[in-house]
Amino acid sequence: MGLLTILKKMKQKEKEVRLLMLGLDNAGKTTILKKFNGEDIDTISPTLGFNIKTLEHRGFKLNIWDVGGQKSLRSYWRNYFESTDALIWVVDSADRMRLSDCKKELHSLLVEERLSGATLLVFANKQDLPGSLTAREIREALDLDSIKTHHWLIQDCSAVTGANLLNGMDWVVNDIASRIFTMD
Amino acid sequence: MASNSNNVYSLGDHDSEMEMDFTHEGEADEDLAMGSSTKDVLFDSVIGHIEDIIMEEPFQIIQTSFLEKYYKEFDDSEENKFCYTDIHKEYISVIESYLEIELKKRMSDFSMVEFTQQLRDRKQELEGEIFEILLTFSDFMAFKEMLLDYKTEKEGNTIDLSGGLTVVPVKDKLNLDDAFCISGKSLKGP
Repeated sequence: MGLLTILKKMKQKEKEVRLLMLGLDNAGKTTILKKFNGEDIDTISPTLGFNIKTLEHRGFKLNIWDVGGQKSLRSYWRNYFESTDALIWVVDSADRMRLSDCKKELHSLLVEERLSGATLLVFANKQDLPGSLTAREIREALDLDSIKTHHWLIQDCSAVTGANLLNGMDWVVNDIASRIFTMD
Repeated sequence: MASNSNNVYSLGDHDSEMEMDFTHEGEADEDLAMGSSTKDVLFDSVIGHIEDIIMEEPFQIIQTSFLEKYYKEFDDSEENKFCYTDIHKEYISVIESYLEIELKKRMSDFSMVEFTQQLRDRKQELEGEIFEILLTFSDFMAFKEMLLDYKTEKEGNTIDLSGGLTVVPVKDKLNLDDAFCISGKSLKGP
């Protein structure tokens, strides 16, 4: 690790956190990001690279990294693991066909060493769609109860209506804050 | 300003100056005996050298050559390409190695390992413009902005305000708690 990287880690502000938002393509990651930021969400096209936004929430500065989820792009995810405080895993709750794929990708992230200290929030998104699975059903399909290595929470939400997005973010911030506090 | 796109910033030229200096083998013992004020002076002089190095022309040339090599890859759109991340990593490593080479030229017994340890020991007292500048080098959004500024300069685009301003819709679509404050700031520090 070089001088600049060391300095960056040292000078990282106490109340500044890095959130990495991942999930299969079409899960709604970018929509969640833009909704948070109060931007128009009518014309979002598939993300082929990554987006970054910085938001203020309860005195915390949240740097949110949203990386494209298409299959061919998933190998790039690893480039964004470093210094991640929380992983936000976004699920299309109406996409029953790909739940096993979704589970496999999530569990492969949880064994990554650079994400080992990260809080995990699962957004069961698209609750506004008819036929979407409930958070409880997603929790079972993704076998979340088997996760012992990370603090996790599943939150049902709708990026389109904005429902419950803040609840999820509140939990993430609280969990990170309590972890940092305990470490000190 | 460097106008060719060859590796003007290549650091290989300096290899000959990286020869080890074995005249300070007793250094560790000296270090133990060294008073804290001597250490402060040494630390301050490294910082002083870093300030000099990044203000000098060769550094500006490295910077410009880097911009020249990569500005065409960058587009002024909100979404980032994956290659930006690789280019930024290369930028950080170019600057890190140049700083180290130059510091060794100027202080024969300079050790980056020791210096970074001193930085850690002084974690609470690292204030000042130089640290802000060093932090900017590793800030991705600042990096992207620098490349885009260079691109605009190169391509002679006039400033188009309509592209720089974003009309933000009324935030009433999202039911916001009063406690939640949203702003559209970039990652770049103040």
